[in-house]
Amino acid sequence: MNNLKLFKRQTVNELSTFYSFLIGFIIAIIIGSIILLIQDKNPIDTFSLMLRLSVGSIKSLSSSLNKAIPLILAGLGISIINSVKLWNIGAEGQIFLGAIAVNFIYINTQFNSPSFHILVLLLAGFVGGSVCILIPAITKVVFGVNEIITTLLTNYIVFGVTIYLINGPWKDPKSLNFPAAAYVGEEVFLPTIFGKLSFGFLICILFTFLAHYLKNKSVFGFEMRIAGGSAMTAVYAGINAKQKAFIAMLIGGGFAGLAGAIELLSQTHRVSTGISQGFGYTAIIVAAITGMRPFGIFLVGSLFGALSIGGSVIQTIGVSTYIADIIQASTLFGALIIQFFFNYQIKRVDDD
Amino acid sequence: MIDIQLIGLLNATLQAATLLFIAALGELITEKSGILNLGVEGMISVGAVTGFMTAINTENIFFAVLVGVLSSSVFASIHALVTVVLKQDQTVSGLILTILGLALSSLLGKNYVGRKLVTKLESVTSITEPSNIIEVLISQNIIFYVAIVLMIGTSFLLKRTMFGRRLEAVGEDSKSSDSMGLKVAKTQFIATCVGGAFAGLSGVYLTLSYVPYWTDNMTSGRGWIALALVIFGGWKPYRTALGAILFGFLEALVPRLQTYGFELSPYIVKITPYVITILVLVILTIYKGGKTGAPKNIGVPFFRENR
Amino acid sequence: MKKYILEVKNISKSFGNVKALEDVNFYLQKGKIHGLLGENGAGKSSLMNILSGIYQPEKGSIFINDIKQKSLDPESASELGIGMVHQEFRLIESFSIKDNLTLSKANIYKDNFKEAYEKYCEIFSLSVSPEKLIAQLSVGEKQKIEIMKLIFKNSNIMLLDEPTAVLTPQETDQLRISLERLSEEDEKTIVLISHKLKEIRDFTEKVFVMKNGKMVAEDLSTVNVTDDNLVELMMGRIQKSIIDKSNKTGDTKLSVESIEYIDKVSNYKILEDINLEIKAGEILGIAGVSGNGQVELANIISGIESDYSGKIIINNKDVSQKGVKSRKKLNLSYIPENRLGVGLAPGVSVLDNSIVRDYFKTRLGPHLSRSKTETYLESLIKKFSIKAPNSKAEISTLSGGNMQKLLMGRELVSNPEVIIASQPTRGLDVNAVEAIHTLLVDQRDMGSAILLISEDLDELFKLSNRLHVMYEGKIVKSLDIDTADINNVGLAMAGVIE
Repeated sequence: MNNLKLFKRQTVNELSTFYSFLIGFIIAIIIGSIILLIQDKNPIDTFSLMLRLSVGSIKSLSSSLNKAIPLILAGLGISIINSVKLWNIGAEGQIFLGAIAVNFIYINTQFNSPSFHILVLLLAGFVGGSVCILIPAITKVVFGVNEIITTLLTNYIVFGVTIYLINGPWKDPKSLNFPAAAYVGEEVFLPTIFGKLSFGFLICILFTFLAHYLKNKSVFGFEMRIAGGSAMTAVYAGINAKQKAFIAMLIGGGFAGLAGAIELLSQTHRVSTGISQGFGYTAIIVAAITGMRPFGIFLVGSLFGALSIGGSVIQTIGVSTYIADIIQASTLFGALIIQFFFNYQIKRVDDD
Repeated sequence: MIDIQLIGLLNATLQAATLLFIAALGELITEKSGILNLGVEGMISVGAVTGFMTAINTENIFFAVLVGVLSSSVFASIHALVTVVLKQDQTVSGLILTILGLALSSLLGKNYVGRKLVTKLESVTSITEPSNIIEVLISQNIIFYVAIVLMIGTSFLLKRTMFGRRLEAVGEDSKSSDSMGLKVAKTQFIATCVGGAFAGLSGVYLTLSYVPYWTDNMTSGRGWIALALVIFGGWKPYRTALGAILFGFLEALVPRLQTYGFELSPYIVKITPYVITILVLVILTIYKGGKTGAPKNIGVPFFRENR
Repeated sequence: MKKYILEVKNISKSFGNVKALEDVNFYLQKGKIHGLLGENGAGKSSLMNILSGIYQPEKGSIFINDIKQKSLDPESASELGIGMVHQEFRLIESFSIKDNLTLSKANIYKDNFKEAYEKYCEIFSLSVSPEKLIAQLSVGEKQKIEIMKLIFKNSNIMLLDEPTAVLTPQETDQLRISLERLSEEDEKTIVLISHKLKEIRDFTEKVFVMKNGKMVAEDLSTVNVTDDNLVELMMGRIQKSIIDKSNKTGDTKLSVESIEYIDKVSNYKILEDINLEIKAGEILGIAGVSGNGQVELANIISGIESDYSGKIIINNKDVSQKGVKSRKKLNLSYIPENRLGVGLAPGVSVLDNSIVRDYFKTRLGPHLSRSKTETYLESLIKKFSIKAPNSKAEISTLSGGNMQKLLMGRELVSNPEVIIASQPTRGLDVNAVEAIHTLLVDQRDMGSAILLISEDLDELFKLSNRLHVMYEGKIVKSLDIDTADINNVGLAMAGVIE
């Protein structure tokens, strides 16, 4: 009698995440192609058009990278929180609250130096993101309430607050058919590096290194890993696991809040529902697909930014922009399936 | 004689509650087996669009409901494959299911935006303007009564039948269940697909009666509320129904606030359900010392160690 | 008439290089209670796992009712009527007794649950409603339900793994009566796995003894053997004092005064009036079957458990109120029994795990120097000859021996003054055991005071200068190794104190 049985592999290939991503991406492109074929579109033409329109010129490349900024920053935040094996599904809300915090400080303060002003506003965004995750963090650490649900619910609360603000106290009378807050002054717009690429991209690079340092090179990162690996080992080592989790959550939320600040200061220039177009959710894909590695998040975030831009411009030839979302989601599904074969081994057990 | 506005409010409450409740009930069944599926939003969307498309193309309402329910169920089986068979992270897989479902439904429904339905899901009686509570209750859409049957049925199934007890056993303690000879993976797979089917039913109700048309992202977070409802209801069908009525009430109240002359911003009212859910969650956790009623094995992939 | 209901012939099983079972014979007579005696790691659980279909033997054959079984998997073993009660309960806590008894598809009392439940409640002298939740039951009651589960599944061969480990003496007595009735009235064949001699003696008719993967005694009639016979069979002849113990001892490094510890959940007194003292250059052995309070004692001394009464004095400093870190600063090292999970964090790299004790030495402010930690790990690998694929590999890819060497190395490299080593060699192969013994002796010679907690009497006699025996949370015997008698220690471990 032959039996197929499942065994956990002793050693997993170090590059397995990368291979899984690669194969997952290929699977996703195939799925995308099939969908295009069903719609009577030539996949090769469509994808090459997407490629051209997302990275083909300085202008398109810079919009792609602009799109990547919030994905990368929020993804980094998620990866920091995941160091203690917790999930942040609330990046979307943190992005919004980051932007709200920026506008709040902008309205209520005055600075002479524009660059210092921008710095303060970016900081406000970071703090806003931290504040957004404060309740989930406290309830997790103190009472043990599931952080997946609480971070998720705060998304809706913050989104509701946003709608309230832009229809109520912050409503810009000049914006008639699209509720939004008033624009911030040009003096606090983030400068551009080249083309339309915002200065935020440099911040993004800086924060990628920062996240990498925090996670992989610092004592705090080590303590987070131990706390996430085994609560008992943390106790044994005299590491306060709850404190690490709390701090990690605030920092992670701050990263997403910063993304909101950058979106406001470089793209929308005002608080509106357009601050995030699901960046907080896509960021989860970005973070998960890279196995929570900062540099991976930077690369995949950039790729997905380009994919989103490519997806939104091919509307003009009658292809749904959702093809980009489908490719992103399918990449992760494909990667998850492939990852299984790296983690497990199916062996034939010969009885008798 | 009851205020006509109150009647309208009650009516709207029940309709909104039905929509939320069916999806929540499906998720409850899935979670009872130990599988967390964060993809409810995506599954509702898939059911909504496929049901709508079928209704437009075939003008057969029964067939449309069937297609909506089945397609969501098949869609949910992706989650079952990835988490039950391949033992990957349930959080990640569920989230992606939502993103994929929303994108897929938008893609599928592109040419159906703004199309008018010829046949809809109808109410069971011909009362169009109910004037008292009895009439409200007997004039609901057929799905409302289906939801009641499903509620009673699910509660009975979970508490009173062997199948239900085994399902719950698997979600509570897959290791012990395995040692009792129960088929853990099979149970979880089925429960996930059933959850998908329920979400699909909720979806077809959305596009074939509640709204009734199709636009992008029309689920607008209802899937997430359904997830919250399961927690709110402590994984119990009747309490979940109560939660659904509360949430439905708040949803129905928002557009009516001004007519009542309230100064409170409707936008603030809209977030109260989420705030309440978090509060309830915290209170439940403190009060019951962590025992919120959640299945103990939720989110933990089952793997029988063969050394 | 057939003689045996179950017969195992020449079974062998190995894991990697370790032979878990070697040519083992085992046979059971219908309706009798059999004892299976042996130390930890003697191969008892491997044998039981083969019988319940979890492991496949490499060699040998199994007969049930004289029919040769081609292969057993958990399902077919269960269908053939073999059922096992594991040490950790397999009950669904939030479910009622009735649910737990009847959910299995093999349940034979579908229609007459009530009568059957009443019948067995009487046998087990249990008086709780079947609607009561498992979580509301006492440990003893849970144990009864666990055994009842087998009856409801129609298991005629019942394998009970240390069923008394969690029971009070009264409950143990009651269990004996129940098992006797089951074997007489229902003709259930029962195997009782234990290392408590008294129970084997009280419960069983036939005894099998295992040691090092071999069956060293088959089918002895319990009435015909003495405790001394059994201890000798189980532990073997122990060669005393292979290592030199004439080293110099110094000042008292660790003293523990009247420790008392009560488990908060069960309100059960885990430790009672524990006093001990260790001098520099001395190894104090704590003998005892696991589960008699050793883990708790080690946790209290190392500072992990803080809710106790009594005094801990390290290097003349009272640290009773101090936490883990300050005790480490006084140069205390703890090698916990639970290697992976407490001592080492699963899912985390070898490098990270190697610096858990001394990471603050490799830091520069908030910076964790990679080169310093790598050098640190390299020095550990070299000094303690650890085999690790690379520093980034996940810790559980290491073999048990290498994990333990890494853990020991990490704790010993800074030359600690006080060492608590709990079950340091459990589950390791001979070479690894030897290496770890050498480490401990070297450390002793450098002047460390060592508390060695072990179940392995060979090890204790080989290494310790003095010996305490722990039984049910108390130190029931203290002796000098030169004058200690192995049999007396073995008896004390099994709860027989003359």
